[in-house]
Amino acid sequence: MLQVKDVHTYYGNIHALKGISLNVNQGEVVTLIGSNGAGKTTTLRTIQGLLRPRTGSITLNGEELTQVPAHLITTKGLSQSPEGRLIFTRMTVLENLEMGAFARSDKDGIQRDLERVFTTFPRLKERVKQRAGTLSGGEQQMLAMGRALMSNPKVLLLDEPSMGLAPILVEQIFDIIRELNQQGTTILLVEQNAQAALQVAHRAYVLETGKITISGDAKELLEDPRVIEAYLGL
Amino acid sequence: MKQKILANAEIAAIVLIGFIALITGGWSVLILTVVAGALVGAAAPPNRAGVLRALIVGALTALIIVAVTFLHNAYITQLPKQDAIPVGALQPTTYGLALLLGIVVAVLVAALRAHPNKQRGRTGLLILVLFFAVIFPFFEQSVQLFWANAVIVSMIFTLQALGLNIVAGYAGLLDLGYVAFFAIGGYTIAFLNSPQFNLNVSFWLIIWIAAAAAALFGFILGAPVIPLRGDYLAIVTLGFGEIVPIVFKNLEAVKIHEPVTAIFAALFNKPEWVRCLVGCTEPVNITNGTQGITPIGRPELFGVKFMTGQYIPWYFLILAMLLLSVFFISRLRSSRIGRAWVAMREDELAATSMGVNIVRTKLTAFILGAMFSGFAGAFYGSYVSFISPDAFDFSISVIVLCMVILGGTGSITGVILGGLIIKMSDLLFLDKFQTVLGGVLQATIFQSVKSQAMTNFLESLFNASQYKLLLFGLILVLMMRFRPQGLVPSASEDAIT
Ligand SMILES: Nc1ncnc2c1ncn2[C@@H]1O[C@H](COP(=O)(O)OP(=O)(O)OP(=O)(O)O)[C@@H](O)[C@H]1O
Ligand SMILES: [Mg+2]
Repeated sequence: MLQVKDVHTYYGNIHALKGISLNVNQGEVVTLIGSNGAGKTTTLRTIQGLLRPRTGSITLNGEELTQVPAHLITTKGLSQSPEGRLIFTRMTVLENLEMGAFARSDKDGIQRDLERVFTTFPRLKERVKQRAGTLSGGEQQMLAMGRALMSNPKVLLLDEPSMGLAPILVEQIFDIIRELNQQGTTILLVEQNAQAALQVAHRAYVLETGKITISGDAKELLEDPRVIEAYLGL
Repeated sequence: MKQKILANAEIAAIVLIGFIALITGGWSVLILTVVAGALVGAAAPPNRAGVLRALIVGALTALIIVAVTFLHNAYITQLPKQDAIPVGALQPTTYGLALLLGIVVAVLVAALRAHPNKQRGRTGLLILVLFFAVIFPFFEQSVQLFWANAVIVSMIFTLQALGLNIVAGYAGLLDLGYVAFFAIGGYTIAFLNSPQFNLNVSFWLIIWIAAAAAALFGFILGAPVIPLRGDYLAIVTLGFGEIVPIVFKNLEAVKIHEPVTAIFAALFNKPEWVRCLVGCTEPVNITNGTQGITPIGRPELFGVKFMTGQYIPWYFLILAMLLLSVFFISRLRSSRIGRAWVAMREDELAATSMGVNIVRTKLTAFILGAMFSGFAGAFYGSYVSFISPDAFDFSISVIVLCMVILGGTGSITGVILGGLIIKMSDLLFLDKFQTVLGGVLQATIFQSVKSQAMTNFLESLFNASQYKLLLFGLILVLMMRFRPQGLVPSASEDAIT
């Protein structure tokens, strides 16, 4: 479904992605793990069109995305809950969710997705009128995910949804990821919390300084000695 | 923590309005207590305790203003060189009425803000504001306050500030040459309705042409620059703001040669080859240079002619335009493009991922801002009936920016407040202050100074009007340091939508 082929991305002269290839199939949860500065966020931003790869191709259902203007990527079926959430703090919860559907015009579809977000995140429904900046960290993460879902994406990109959350909330977020996937959402999940990520994912890629070093079935990676040593810290 | 008796905002309001009362005195006390009451009421927390607080603080404030006015009428009017104020008409009942009005307005505003039904409360506030706005010019005229001109020009500038607020406040763009669009609006009406070209296009049509012309220039300027990152827009607009008045200044003797023949003529040294295109017999005078263009056409509405010195029709016309603009802008803000502005200002990357086209969103704001300025420029041209390049120098861009920052970038109420405070000071209060200061100096130091040269020197040294720009610059710096969100933070308005 989503296919990334030999992508090289630069920040000025810094060669951040050195030939990344990965693919995500319909209905899967695929996780991308790696240590700080490996290039996970860079990968997601490149897919989202916020950074332009110097070479390589990114396709969604066969359609090339690297030439599509960044603000139109969402209309192609990709949306992201970004690192650090980046919710619109001065807007209310409802307005944030409406921003998620900014590029859409099908009122009925938007209403349906709003209901779906509220079923998935009842906490958000209780707080529709609240200013987003005053939400707790966990609620803000839920809002970021809900906002991404509001564009009804074909592939949902999640950048470290568990960052900075208490263990109990982390567990809750991963439950929600599993639930969303069971409802049919295809997900590309970037995580530092490799243990939890590998448990929800079907397949996984390990990223090290801009290169994919290991890839395969998530359950197998959980037992791979290289992964255990470097990322599971057991 | 120790509970403060008065909030900083209340102290600032009391000091500022008290000071204005001290230098203006006379009948202005009635206006000042009402304004102070409204501010106190608006500053109180919107609940029952807030209403009580508004009552107490409102009474205190009104009392101070009345006392200060009394001081002015009793002592300052006795100083040499003062304006004659018809103080005799000011009976004790006037002071009592001022006191009462201040308190009533404070309580009323606080109560309306605390109204359980928010929609009704807001309608009530609007009616209250409109009521005073409508009676103001009649009161002003009947007591001969001579504020009308300053108020009208301030409202025209506030119209401009509302436009700049879209650019700087909503889209976060720094436009340092905003005056250029004002000039374009002003010259549009000067060209289309004055003896300059003997044209007499209807005022009601011209204001739209002026807005469109300014918007067109906004597009031409913004389209290539806004996609660039960083400070380019500030630099380019700064240059544009300087160039436009200079162009208007120089278009007074235009003669254009056909370029190809001119080149050959120069090459073969045969001046007679040059073909002339425009202004052959006599250079064309487009703008009349530094002399400017006058008189400029006035509007006419329902048989009412708008004329110099007759302020009431002008006042209501511009008040209506101001209200219309506020309505239009607040609708804009809660529309799709308004959402995009808020989102973009918070985080451009996140907004882009949602599908916001950043360049187009910024450009729209820039063009809308230019449009407002052109619109205001046409009103200004018609109102003063005289347009010259000097009316559009850099200081106007600074003053309008000052209004936006003082009031609260991104806040409509704030910008109106900032606009009125700054322009009223510029046109009225600083001069009044100058008169009072001059009187005080005359009565004290100057008496002991024997040499005329020394007196002249001291007089110009203490000329407050000279320090205007310094003062506005100082306001900018102090606001940035101590209250960057402005007098009325825009965050308080976000929740409304
Ligand atoms: N705007 C930028 N300018 C220059 N270099 C950058 C920029 N953003 C990221 N980098 C560099 O690119 C590399 C990859 O960064 P990236 O943010 O993708 O890492 P990450 O895997 O997401 O790390 P983390 O787990 O800490 O979020 C790092 O070396 C980082 O310093
Ligand atoms: Mg990251």
